[in-house]
Amino acid sequence: MKNTDKISITAALTAATCTLLGTTALQPVQAQEEPGWDFNTSLLYYAESDDRVQDLSLKTLSRRTFVDDRILSLGLTVDALTGATPNGALPQSFPQTFTKPSGKNTFTTPPGEFPIDDSFRDTRVAISADWEQPLGRLYAMNVGVSASAEYDYLHLGVNAKLSRDFNNRNTTLSGGFAFASDQLDPVGGVPDPLTQMRNVRDDDDGNGGRASNDSKEILDLVLGITQVMSRNFLMQFNYSYSDSSGYLNDPYKILTSVDPITGEAVPVPQIPGTEGPSHLNYYENRPDTRSKHSLYTQGKYYMNGKVLDASYRYMTDDWEIDSHTIDMRLRWPIGDDKYLEPHLRFYTQTAAEFYQISLVDDGQPLPEYASADYRLADFDAITAGLKFGWKTGGGNDMSVRLELYSQSGNVSPSQLIGSQADQDVYPDMDAIIFQYSYMFGK
Amino acid sequence: MSRVRPDRSIRVDAGDRCLRGQFSAMASPCEVLVDSDDIVAAERLTSLVADEAWRIEDKFSRYSPGNIIDRINTAGGEGVQVDDETAQLIDFSVTLNELSDGRFDITSGVLRRVWRFDGSNNIPTRHAVSDVMKHIGWHRVDWTSPILAMAPGMEIDLGGIGKEYAVDRCAGLLRNTTDAACLINFGGDLVATGKPRLRDAWQVGIEALNAQEQKSDRLVNLVIGGLATSGDARRFLMHNGIRFSHILDPTTGWPVPDAPRSITVAADSCTQAGMLSTLGMLKGAQAEAFLDAQGVQFWCNRGDGAVP
Repeated sequence: MKNTDKISITAALTAATCTLLGTTALQPVQAQEEPGWDFNTSLLYYAESDDRVQDLSLKTLSRRTFVDDRILSLGLTVDALTGATPNGALPQSFPQTFTKPSGKNTFTTPPGEFPIDDSFRDTRVAISADWEQPLGRLYAMNVGVSASAEYDYLHLGVNAKLSRDFNNRNTTLSGGFAFASDQLDPVGGVPDPLTQMRNVRDDDDGNGGRASNDSKEILDLVLGITQVMSRNFLMQFNYSYSDSSGYLNDPYKILTSVDPITGEAVPVPQIPGTEGPSHLNYYENRPDTRSKHSLYTQGKYYMNGKVLDASYRYMTDDWEIDSHTIDMRLRWPIGDDKYLEPHLRFYTQTAAEFYQISLVDDGQPLPEYASADYRLADFDAITAGLKFGWKTGGGNDMSVRLELYSQSGNVSPSQLIGSQADQDVYPDMDAIIFQYSYMFGK
Repeated sequence: MSRVRPDRSIRVDAGDRCLRGQFSAMASPCEVLVDSDDIVAAERLTSLVADEAWRIEDKFSRYSPGNIIDRINTAGGEGVQVDDETAQLIDFSVTLNELSDGRFDITSGVLRRVWRFDGSNNIPTRHAVSDVMKHIGWHRVDWTSPILAMAPGMEIDLGGIGKEYAVDRCAGLLRNTTDAACLINFGGDLVATGKPRLRDAWQVGIEALNAQEQKSDRLVNLVIGGLATSGDARRFLMHNGIRFSHILDPTTGWPVPDAPRSITVAADSCTQAGMLSTLGMLKGAQAEAFLDAQGVQFWCNRGDGAVP
């Protein structure tokens, strides 16, 4: 085809159309074919300092859009996890020996280090399916199912959401629920709460008469309102309630039992012919219900191409954990097809009422609930990151994201006994997150 | 020809996350989607659009006795003076006639006397076609705006432009009347006037047929601009195993060989989209190459499911 043909036909047709319609200029068409499927894939690497947890995660979200805004989304995530988190026992000035969760052998932690069982390796596979569709003029609904499996954990979940537009579509109210039923099959069985760490035993199933599994149920309810404040300002408010019940302990977490004067771990008399913990430790115990309330607000502000996305969440629960989260992202376009997005997140929480760094061996009965899990402590965390995104030659989107996470705990001096005051009692943690994402349609 | 009195009513009801006004015009189901929740406004906008569509239908339909088209077609060789709007449409068709080397021709409608596309094998005789060709050809018309004169037996028909023109006219009325984003759809020829607030775009389904003659809809997200389809995947003639498309070449009087089943084009206006898809159909086997060269987005359906 000759080039002159193109110019003459297109230009002549445009001129003739403008004359016919009595206009001088027409707005350029904006049309794009909806791909049959579009895919959002990412590879994420997460690593905690001191060789704790490392995760390599591959994620794919496939989306198919049908006529009338009906959307099917299918998700698949595969995680390869190695390493472990501290088991809750306190570092000591001497070596400590612990029985591994399997009950089949022991490991020894050198002086001054947080005890970590490093034999932990896991692969997690998670799948999800979601269906979204409008229901008439004002309503839209969303239903989904999810499942994930690890060697010691099985999650099954369902969720549904209904939304309705009001106020000439400037306001959207939504209500939703999610229900999950999770089963734990801990290595070595489910430990009896607040009993002493067992010795190595050689029975058939390695469970030593323990129950092999336990379960929990989680119900989440969400009420939300999205409000168009102006052409470039959108706000969202959510209230959510979450109720968990069942086995809420971490079966691998323990507490050190310490001397009431020195604050040091109490040695266990060693019986010849047995192998087991060198010091007195107890398996943790948490209440078997937990209810959380949270309030969330998010604002999105568009200013000539830049988008500021800021949110705040307040959460309070009946374990007496209160948390505040502030999250900010600024998407800054560079030219037509690239952008930078700095990200900052601040998090702070108070400790659970039963959180304690150790148990005291003073002859008094043990408390009903106790956990030294650092995630239930009073701590602060900061995340700072930068994302860079660009369009590929084929019109697809790619991005890379690098984030640093730093968590530090605050243990009240009143909890510290004897030598604990001179020691690191909270396992501070830094982590690095690197993610590569690729979005394409087919 | 006896005609059923057309239904001139409008209905407004709930569409999917929008209000939908519906009516019939130009032998097509017509709809106006309004991104608003104001039912009174949606009724007013639908009336505005329907009144304009019916005005254009009445004025330019070749079936309405006494209208300008009827007066031209029954003038018996006399010159007929036309109004400004008719003159502009005729001028526009002249441009198309030149751009298509005579293949777009508003006098070609009389070919319908010999060609009936009903899926049958009724192929006209060569003699019948050459007979009717004597009454076809813009070069035989004497057009000196605003006077048109042509030989008795010739007819003009603005049906090839009318629907797209009506869609664009109605879109202009909506733009001048409301800030709400709207989508006008007259039987598959459509225009979007802006982005709906809670969605990224209006979603438009394009009907395509795959190799097994099954429907396989494709979705186009349209924010602003026009989309028009020429051709009809189900209108054809079969003769001796050969499919004759219903796109007739007025320079030969015979169907365009190797024409696609249908072509959908996206362009700044519905009129441009419609004319480009029609010109594409007239290019037959070269339809895709022609549209590629125009630098427009198009979806060409050859009944094999292969749509670029």
